[in-house]
Amino acid sequence: MFNLLRPFLLSARHRLLPGGRPGGKGLGVLLFSLAVAVALHLVALRVITYFQAQSELGIILSLKIFEMAWILLFAMVMFSAMVTSVSTIFLSKDNEIVFAAPLPPARIFAMRYLTTSFYTGWMLFLFMLPILLAYGRVFDTGPLYWPLLTPTLLATILSATGTGLLLTIILVNLFPARRTKDIVLYLSICFGILIYLMFRLLRPEELVNPDNYGHFIEYLSALSAPAAGYLPPAWSANLLALYLLDRELDLLLLAVLLLTPVALFFLGEAAMSRWFFRGYSKSCESFGGGRRFAGRLSDYRPRPWRRIFHKEAKTLLRDSTEWAQFFMVGALIIVYLYNFKILPLDRAFIQEEYLANVIAFLNIGLSTFVCASLAARFVFPSVSAEGGAMVLLQSSPLSMRAYLLRKYLFYLPPFTLLALLLILLSNHLLGVSGPMWWIALALVLPLAWALPALALGFGSIYADFKAENRAATLGGWGAWLYLLSAMSLIIATIAATTYPAWRLLRNWLRHGAPAPGDLPLLLSALLLAALVTTGVALFFFLKGARALDQLAQ
Amino acid sequence: MTGNEKPDTPAPILEVKGLNKRFGAHQAVKDLELTVSAGEIFGFLGPNGAGKTTTIRMLVGLLKPDAGRVSIMGRDLAADPAWGKARTGYIPDRPFLYEKLTGQEFLQFMAGLYRLPPATFKRNVPHLLELFDLDQWQDHLVESYSHGMKQKLIITAAFMLEPPLIVVDEPMVGLDPKSARLVKELFKQHAATGRSVFLSTHSLEVAEELCHRIGIIVDGRLKALGDMEQLRSLAKDQRGDLEDIFLELTGSHELQAVISALQDRSAQGQLKVGSSLDGGRETR
Repeated sequence: MFNLLRPFLLSARHRLLPGGRPGGKGLGVLLFSLAVAVALHLVALRVITYFQAQSELGIILSLKIFEMAWILLFAMVMFSAMVTSVSTIFLSKDNEIVFAAPLPPARIFAMRYLTTSFYTGWMLFLFMLPILLAYGRVFDTGPLYWPLLTPTLLATILSATGTGLLLTIILVNLFPARRTKDIVLYLSICFGILIYLMFRLLRPEELVNPDNYGHFIEYLSALSAPAAGYLPPAWSANLLALYLLDRELDLLLLAVLLLTPVALFFLGEAAMSRWFFRGYSKSCESFGGGRRFAGRLSDYRPRPWRRIFHKEAKTLLRDSTEWAQFFMVGALIIVYLYNFKILPLDRAFIQEEYLANVIAFLNIGLSTFVCASLAARFVFPSVSAEGGAMVLLQSSPLSMRAYLLRKYLFYLPPFTLLALLLILLSNHLLGVSGPMWWIALALVLPLAWALPALALGFGSIYADFKAENRAATLGGWGAWLYLLSAMSLIIATIAATTYPAWRLLRNWLRHGAPAPGDLPLLLSALLLAALVTTGVALFFFLKGARALDQLAQ
Repeated sequence: MTGNEKPDTPAPILEVKGLNKRFGAHQAVKDLELTVSAGEIFGFLGPNGAGKTTTIRMLVGLLKPDAGRVSIMGRDLAADPAWGKARTGYIPDRPFLYEKLTGQEFLQFMAGLYRLPPATFKRNVPHLLELFDLDQWQDHLVESYSHGMKQKLIITAAFMLEPPLIVVDEPMVGLDPKSARLVKELFKQHAATGRSVFLSTHSLEVAEELCHRIGIIVDGRLKALGDMEQLRSLAKDQRGDLEDIFLELTGSHELQAVISALQDRSAQGQLKVGSSLDGGRETR
């Protein structure tokens, strides 16, 4: 068994201790994780102390959050284990070596169970622990609480992984492995988005608002419904909550909690022995999935731009990992706009119309930053995404500049639409009209057009055609430099127009019309901003095209 | 000669003059000179790391030479790359394709890049897909194709273009015997219509069977060039096949000593295996 785990352990050692000594990267990750854990602990300490100070109601609420955190942890680890285990059990690159060796599937399952649990659980373990420690400190708990934490956390994580693995083994027998991974990925993303939306739409900030006390009671009564008492996370929550409040240890709950991962392990092992081979054989079939797409050879028209548009759209839309991003973008836009809807402008101490205009101006930066981030996620990696097929483009008569231009034209309409959606709807929700409406439009559109060009330029300069997927290209320097440049461009554009916009707006709000010099000043600033934006984007776009040409050097 | 008669009117389709490429201190290609005539299948051989792929990448415009000139149908590739590339079909050794496109969509994409007229596309593609048994898979995503199917798809893409020159790097890798045979026939047919093929391969049988002339590159230099007869006389081996000639010309004659040593070890190994099967009794 230890021998089977050797590649995993040795790889981890080589990553953390390259050359036998702690590497800079490993040390950096460790320090960063520690800093995040400490920060989490301090924030949790503050929040729980605050709840604790709100009499009985606060204690109930903080324990409800405690229970929700456990359920969330369980669900996250379970979905993550399902996605990971499709890869680790059925699609892993070392499968051909491991499964060809004379090993019983049960032992392989044990190895995959442990490694998958580690992959999916370590981060949540590290981040959950400081929160639980904070609970212990605020509740001034007894001595048994501390040694209970690690086994409780480990048992919950192992139960979640065990459930995930079991479900995956069954699912892969029903669907091909790659399809199963897609299905699980969609499910987990939908779950994540649902949690995010639920949390945001609940408006937790309202809980501390005395005006909404009736609503608060309603909220509490909804929360007081028993929450999944038959699941391991609820057992963990109840076990620790009981000890936190009354210093009582429920031995039955503890026993059930500790035995569940063991039971799940044996169930998974049995499932592995029974169904694994069929599922694995299915996942090895080269025609896995066998999805057909409609198409006719007679549809062909000899237009390179059209073919690049089709290729770009199809490779993007048929990639399930990209779909996940689209769902998230959708949720982000809903929450973004919702935030404007619930802004308490009427409670502000300055004039509502003035405040709405100021927020609308700042929103230009916010919405273009959203565009910049999405360009980083979708446009920047699109050149690297050509992968090995880049040689086909390079050996074709299409020049690299023409290729990049067609790519740019492909991304232009969605970014224009997104920018318009964000700026126009948020302005509508803020009730902004008059000059700010036009200023926002005049500033946002050039930026929305420039950002994809900038992303393509940087994406070409820092192209990595060997990256495993689009997301993998975002880890390099290029993505950071792009984001830094995009941010600088946005800030510079807004800075250049702040004073003229403020002058015009002030006069317009005070006198109902701008002063004589306001409009020319603002127009000059806008023109300057548009010129700078275009110039910067064009410079990096052409530099990117040159970089692609220089691949032939 | 192997029976691969060279065409009578050898107008050069590909002309390479003084081609040089250096990667740091390593001279990958040095003063390479060759021509490929219309209707000719030219074989390009060499040991691993000899400079074959570097040369091919320069011929199809993927790599810029440090010095020298590549001309396609008389026009300098560096001066007018789009013109030259439009007349060259490239079959790389590894079929990296767009996994999320169907076979048919990939072919339409490639045809679009080369502005292939719809009539040519409709005439060639169904025929080639049928030849390679890909017609029933044309609406499936490339990600579900086997390595051989991907290779056949990229070969289809090159042939559908009907380019005057096809440059191909290791065409038979991953192909089943039927498809390999088919590809050979397609190369012959392509050459028979006055077009040319520049073929780099490790398969000496393929080279011997198909090529009118063969160039052997060693350490970046063209060590030998000519038809089989000329190569035989260069190697001073009038009866040998291409393998013998290749080994002679690439300086691999020490290989025979290695083979003998391996045969000796193998004979000793058989004795040991025999002894262990005898239940550990020593074989004297």
